[in-house]
Amino acid sequence: MTESYLLPLWISLKTVAAATVITFFLGIAVARWMSRYHGRAKHLIDGLFILPMVLPPTVVGVGLLLLFGKNGPLGQLLLALGTTIVFSWPATVITAIVVSFPLMYMTARGAFEQVEPNIEDAARTLGASEWKVFWTVTMPMAWPGIAAGLVLAFARSLGEFGATLMLAGNIPGKTATIPVALYFAYQAGDMNQAWILVFITLAIAFSSLAILAYWRGRRPNRKHVRLLGARSQD
Amino acid sequence: MLEVRIKKELSGFNLAVDLATDKEILSILGPSGSGKTMTLKCIAGLVRPDEGYIRLNDQVLYDSRKGINLPARQRRVGFVFQNYALFPHLTVQENIAYGISSSQRTGVKTQIAEMIDKMHINGLEDRYPGQLSSGQQQRVALARSLFQKPETLLLDEPFSALDTHRKEGLEYELLSLQRNFSGDMLFVTHDVGQGYKMGTRIAVFESGKIVQCDVKKTVLDEPANRTVARLMGVKNLIESEVIASDDSTISIRFQGLEKNLKLRRTKNYGLSEYRRVIAGIRPEHVEITAEPGENIVQGVVSRIVEGVNYASCFLQLNEVKGSIYIEVSLAKADAALIHEGQLLHLRLPPDRLIMMKSDSA
Repeated sequence: MTESYLLPLWISLKTVAAATVITFFLGIAVARWMSRYHGRAKHLIDGLFILPMVLPPTVVGVGLLLLFGKNGPLGQLLLALGTTIVFSWPATVITAIVVSFPLMYMTARGAFEQVEPNIEDAARTLGASEWKVFWTVTMPMAWPGIAAGLVLAFARSLGEFGATLMLAGNIPGKTATIPVALYFAYQAGDMNQAWILVFITLAIAFSSLAILAYWRGRRPNRKHVRLLGARSQD
Repeated sequence: MLEVRIKKELSGFNLAVDLATDKEILSILGPSGSGKTMTLKCIAGLVRPDEGYIRLNDQVLYDSRKGINLPARQRRVGFVFQNYALFPHLTVQENIAYGISSSQRTGVKTQIAEMIDKMHINGLEDRYPGQLSSGQQQRVALARSLFQKPETLLLDEPFSALDTHRKEGLEYELLSLQRNFSGDMLFVTHDVGQGYKMGTRIAVFESGKIVQCDVKKTVLDEPANRTVARLMGVKNLIESEVIASDDSTISIRFQGLEKNLKLRRTKNYGLSEYRRVIAGIRPEHVEITAEPGENIVQGVVSRIVEGVNYASCFLQLNEVKGSIYIEVSLAKADAALIHEGQLLHLRLPPDRLIMMKSDSA
């Protein structure tokens, strides 16, 4: 019985960690690309990226099943490689990425667009490569927004339920994340288990918010914020 | 030596620039949106022209025919932005040393200290840009550019956000810096007085083109068209007609005025090409006189406006079909002696009258 709540916790932690890391880098890369893309399809592409946030998770789940199911294009590709995603642990990661990506993408793109192009240009004239400009100017200046996106993406992946249930199912010890396990514990009338999972979630949420708040505050970007404030006055 | 010959299609106008400098400060004047900043960005490699070439000393920076387009980081072109564009998350020291790669770090400390000394920003080394005044920020921006030892320095309205007294101080400092700087400087400004003070030559931009580029005194004395003349303070610009000309003088008539005015010929105006011209004279060059004579017109005082150093007097010319107003600058004591409605004789000295191409020519 002691392990009954540790398993969902372990699965959730693995899922959230993997999904957040992937969403973080994917979101930043796509946001960076989109902040500079001014083609005709900009709004269309933008809408597609944000769609999973607007749709009910169950609809996202149906969409993912269509993609990864036995007859779906990606499902068949994986089948040819001798594997399947549906009802496996990676499915929890995929759903978490899909639902958290829009939050990371939107906040990061906003943050990148706030970075003054002149400042990046100044770095270029000082001999910096694009890579250096990105890591030493763009990222530090966009950091407050990026960190906010990270928190949102983390929270969203931790709370993912509907799409996960549809694509990954509820296989204890394999795909049953905390929200899924909590739902089934409650349904089964196992209130002890349900409460424990509730408190675990609360603990994770609060401590990660505290860590991220500390981490964000420690960055030297308060100077940045002050500068922007000063500039808007003149 | 900087040689620029570029074309670029932009949304509002087409940029077509042709200029060359040789170890000097070239002031670039012109209304906003006339392509000044865009030209600097093309030189720095931040914007790619459609065609042409850019050469800096011995190096070709851009050549559309040969397919050469050096990235900004390899051009050794210093750029000082209008809003400073300092890195807000780095200290003054870190800003200045930004372009130094980690392998070059040895000995850099003393060089930074020297630069900080030279730019008079001592004591600010560990501050962040947000904690500096705008004048200090501009010094840091200059220091940061100069620290890379650029071969040319492009300044885009570098003092526009400063107070007048701070501006003057930095202007003189920049002039003395230029003496130790071996390369050229392009100085973009919309402030004519500043541009005239800073540059040895002046280039005037108008809708993407350079309408005049010459030694500053020539631009001041012989503006090429109405825009340049206005910019240079020639406030009286009157549509005129050329009546006759010989080697030393040209006779013109203001449109609607039946009177020949003489104009000392200082340069070859290429008169065969056009008869319609614009005559111009600065308000401070118009003389009020009692005795009749050559080049004298009559006008009625319509308004007197007192300024800080002198008074501006507006006169409506007599004997004219339509109306022509002439502005005259007067010492305040002289302005006190005249009143509105008074008829005055104005002398337009032949060596002070200038003329230029008509807008339609």
